[in-house]
Amino acid sequence: MSLLEFRGVARRFPVRHGLLDRLARRDRVWLHAVRGVDLSVARGEILGIVGESGCGKSTLARIGVGLQPANAGSVRFHGAALDGPDPAGRIQMVFQDPYSSLDPRMTIGAQLDEVIARYRAGLGRAGRRALVAQMLDEVGLPQEVAAKFPHALSGGQRQRVSIARALCSGPEVLLADEPVSALDASVQAQIINLLRRLNRDKGLTIVFISHDMNVVRYLCDRVAVMYLGEIVELDDSARLFAAPRHPYTRALIEAVPDLHAPREAVAAIHGEIPDPFAVVEGCRFAPRCPLAEAGCARPQALRPLPPSGAVRCDKAC
Amino acid sequence: MSLLSIRNLRTEFSGPAGIVRAVDGVSLDVAPGEIFGIVGESGCGKSATCRSILRLFGGAPARVAGGQILLDGVGDLAAMPERALAQVRGREVAFIFQDPLTALNPTMRIGRQIAEVILRHRKVSRAEARQAALGLLRDVHVTSPERRLDAYPHELSGGLRQRVVIAMALALRPRLIIADEPTTALDVTVQDQILRLLRERCDSTGTAIILITHDLGVVSQVCDRMAVMYAGRIVETGAVREVLDHPSHPYTRALLAALPGQASRGRDLVPIEGSPPGLIAPPPGCRFAPRCRLAREDCGSGPAPGLLPRPGTAPGHLDACILSEVPDVAS
Repeated sequence: MSLLEFRGVARRFPVRHGLLDRLARRDRVWLHAVRGVDLSVARGEILGIVGESGCGKSTLARIGVGLQPANAGSVRFHGAALDGPDPAGRIQMVFQDPYSSLDPRMTIGAQLDEVIARYRAGLGRAGRRALVAQMLDEVGLPQEVAAKFPHALSGGQRQRVSIARALCSGPEVLLADEPVSALDASVQAQIINLLRRLNRDKGLTIVFISHDMNVVRYLCDRVAVMYLGEIVELDDSARLFAAPRHPYTRALIEAVPDLHAPREAVAAIHGEIPDPFAVVEGCRFAPRCPLAEAGCARPQALRPLPPSGAVRCDKAC
Repeated sequence: MSLLSIRNLRTEFSGPAGIVRAVDGVSLDVAPGEIFGIVGESGCGKSATCRSILRLFGGAPARVAGGQILLDGVGDLAAMPERALAQVRGREVAFIFQDPLTALNPTMRIGRQIAEVILRHRKVSRAEARQAALGLLRDVHVTSPERRLDAYPHELSGGLRQRVVIAMALALRPRLIIADEPTTALDVTVQDQILRLLRERCDSTGTAIILITHDLGVVSQVCDRMAVMYAGRIVETGAVREVLDHPSHPYTRALLAALPGQASRGRDLVPIEGSPPGLIAPPPGCRFAPRCRLAREDCGSGPAPGLLPRPGTAPGHLDACILSEVPDVAS
């Protein structure tokens, strides 16, 4: 049974509609960030969501944690519809930039204490202090950090604090939105190891959103590939990277620079990330797709493809 | 024959806590038509090294405190007065910044911005400059270039903006382009296209490029030679395939071991413990020694070791480790 489930989730944002637009009776324009995503996250797995900027991966995560409502569809947690953030804090989020997600005027200890006080009202001061110590220990930070302010910490330490704060409510699911993208490689490895350990030892379910295919391949059990608000491929990580079936997934993997091989002679795909406002009938990737043909103009469904996984391309096999 | 030859460069920033020696004794050579990659983590001095070449410090309290920056046929840029250096900028050496949006004027149409660069340095008419701008946009494979000439920067995607910035850098046919993290803000598919474009322009015009990046994959993809920097100094340099496939300095090896790869799946990654030293009073000896798993007692004393060839490695492959044998650290 899935722990967290997205059912037909869609989210659109209104684009600025000024007085002149209204006077000219122009229709309101919408940006469709997420268009009907069905995705279930199984207990104990690390699910990766990859895609280029603007594909809707971050919006999907924010909907999952309840920071933003969906315009259509529902998010289900333990089988029940979730309306807004889970009151018990069982779903938590970690953001890309640990600089802006911590309060610069509060000590680390006070910030963790605040979260603990909110979710564990029964705990006294001493109990909360013990839990702060335990959380710091959990993420591999020394106890002195509790008395420090965020500016006194390195980037990697700040990201550990963000993770410790997310763990304070004892979550079952952690949605991590590009948690290592702002970090140097040597520090990135520490945070990735930490996430792996939390998954393995504590059974924490992780949704890992990233644009870095190497990190996703290394860390994730399953991977969902998003393109312009839709999932175009979903499969076991090993199978997806070994034999990608959607042309977009293939292009994304081929574009990753290889450390030990010179580049291929021909670029994986041409064209820019498309305008999300442009109305495309049928396959949304077709304008950049090397395999596109007339049939791609009809809408493509995400269909299961044996032995595992699903793909949104009629030509994939 | 070197196009650019940097000798023992030292660049300092004055900060509230003292003088930060951001670049401390860097020497490197760039040949015409080659792409030279400089890699390293935040604060290693890779950007400071490159900004020193044209003294583009963006108002930061920085100065070139020593060394030479010899540009073939021009002379020592480090010793050149500001007015003379202004003539070198754009014409001999051009700069590409990470964020194309800040490098472009938001209130000026693309065509006019490129034409301005040409008009400032060349005696041509406005119409000729505009025609040249159109040709440059074609060279960097901007689709429907006639239409883009009249677009404003905000109307273009990130990848297109970076193409425009590259077109501007190419406008005066410089012999050297310095590109500071030119693809870091871009998606991987667009990065792939921009890197190919840089390589192609380099091959067809003979322009050399110094490419600064934190991404070893980017270096692997387009560079001919590379240097790895740590705490203000180059610790390893050589042909890209040599350095990446047969790294000899413990820092380069540790950096490669920290990256997630296909082979490491299911095992813990090997991070580099600790953090780089402060550069106000860097530690004696090898600056990586405090974090190095292989460090011996004498690694942390005396002057910082210089770059030397190692027996058995390819010509031009140098590293700054004093150990005679560097065993593999990846567990």
